[in-house]
Amino acid sequence: MITMNKVSKHYGAFQVLTDCSTQVHKGEVIVVCGPSGSGKSTLIKVVNGLEPFQSGEIIVNGVSVGDPKTNLSKLRSTVGMVFQNFELFPHMSIIDNLAIAQVKVLGRTQEVARDKGFKLLDRVGLRAQAEKYPGQLSGGQQQRVAIARALAMDPICMLFDEPTSALDPEMVNEVLDVMTELAREGMTMMCVTHEMGFAKRVASRVIFMDQGRIVEDDSKEAFFENPRSERAQQFLAKILHH
Amino acid sequence: MYDFDWSSIPNALPFLWDGMKISIQITATAVVVGILWGTLLALMRLSPIKPLSWFAAGYVNLFRAVPLVMVLLWFFLIVPHLLESIFGFPRGSDMRMGSAMAGFALFEAAYYSEIMRAGIQSVPKGQMAAASALGMNYGQSMRLIILPQAFRNMVPLLLTQGIILFQDTSLVYVSALADFFGAAYKVGDRDGRLVELLLFAGAVYFVICFTASRIVRRYQQKLKIA
Repeated sequence: MITMNKVSKHYGAFQVLTDCSTQVHKGEVIVVCGPSGSGKSTLIKVVNGLEPFQSGEIIVNGVSVGDPKTNLSKLRSTVGMVFQNFELFPHMSIIDNLAIAQVKVLGRTQEVARDKGFKLLDRVGLRAQAEKYPGQLSGGQQQRVAIARALAMDPICMLFDEPTSALDPEMVNEVLDVMTELAREGMTMMCVTHEMGFAKRVASRVIFMDQGRIVEDDSKEAFFENPRSERAQQFLAKILHH
Repeated sequence: MYDFDWSSIPNALPFLWDGMKISIQITATAVVVGILWGTLLALMRLSPIKPLSWFAAGYVNLFRAVPLVMVLLWFFLIVPHLLESIFGFPRGSDMRMGSAMAGFALFEAAYYSEIMRAGIQSVPKGQMAAASALGMNYGQSMRLIILPQAFRNMVPLLLTQGIILFQDTSLVYVSALADFFGAAYKVGDRDGRLVELLLFAGAVYFVICFTASRIVRRYQQKLKIA
């Protein structure tokens, strides 16, 4: 479903990604982890073309992301994305947040879009908040709305960019629960996260990055029990201690 | 000691009101057109397409570097002649009102564009990313997500600029157009009561602008809390 082949990206002289190659198959849940500044967020942002890259190739569902002829907006409408800071639209009610792209991008009627929105809010347990504004919800609730907003587009896969990093600790689980359920239903997912418990529970594979390179790309069992690189061993030792 | 005589004001009120209507018309037109054109200029200025950005920067810098009264004179003296020769308008047709509206709108657009540019930049970058990630193109993202927020953040500044503009409409006296200030001046001149009429006009401007800026401040406080 997603194929990356020797993808490299730099800002000026600063190399962010170097020769990153991997594949994500339908129904797989990939957890991307690594120290900060290792390029893991950039790795998933190049998948839907939010960040441009200079060399290599990315194919999403048969479409080349880097090809200048590709209609990026159309491609992005098929790939859901959830951000660290939620990025709900503060000037719209929750239900309008869910409906707007369905109407404007997919051409659904307002009625169909709202209907779908209500169903998804139900699913993330926030139906009662539909008419409120983002500022009136807690961080955890906002992130669940953001997930529902992405799902409203019927995406073929979902990208998560540190979805729980900006949350108070007591709200992390409500978001992880929604993600876990999504994974169990067979959604193809790429998640940048430090939540190793989540990775152990639902990941099919773990990608470990360091200094813009994919250092490990292995099954979660192999990664957690027997990390090959010294860098990953150090990282795990630090992160699993608390 | 100067002997004040206010008796010519009551009779002149209908004439002064007509003048006020002209002031308000010019202000309203310049605010609406100025904000629309200013927003377009701001979008051009922020555009990655260099010629558009240069054009907008040049426009804004030009209009901000010349006195308003001069722009108004250009529009009174030069533009009508141009229009006459290009579109064959009858010679000497009264275009003062249209000239004033166009002059103010184009001049104010330069200021509004700077306000809107700041407004657009005040919206967090992630909002554009979120809109794009949902498949919206640049135009949709701007129109549906970024501009409404930019506009809302900038309403107090836009209104304040509108109040300044209302005061500046008095400059149309250079074309002998009878706006509120012009009307007051004419009445005072006719009755030999210039001091009274100008004091009265000043008081009216003060009350209107002071009240309006109080309301804007109230709104600003509310925006801060929300």
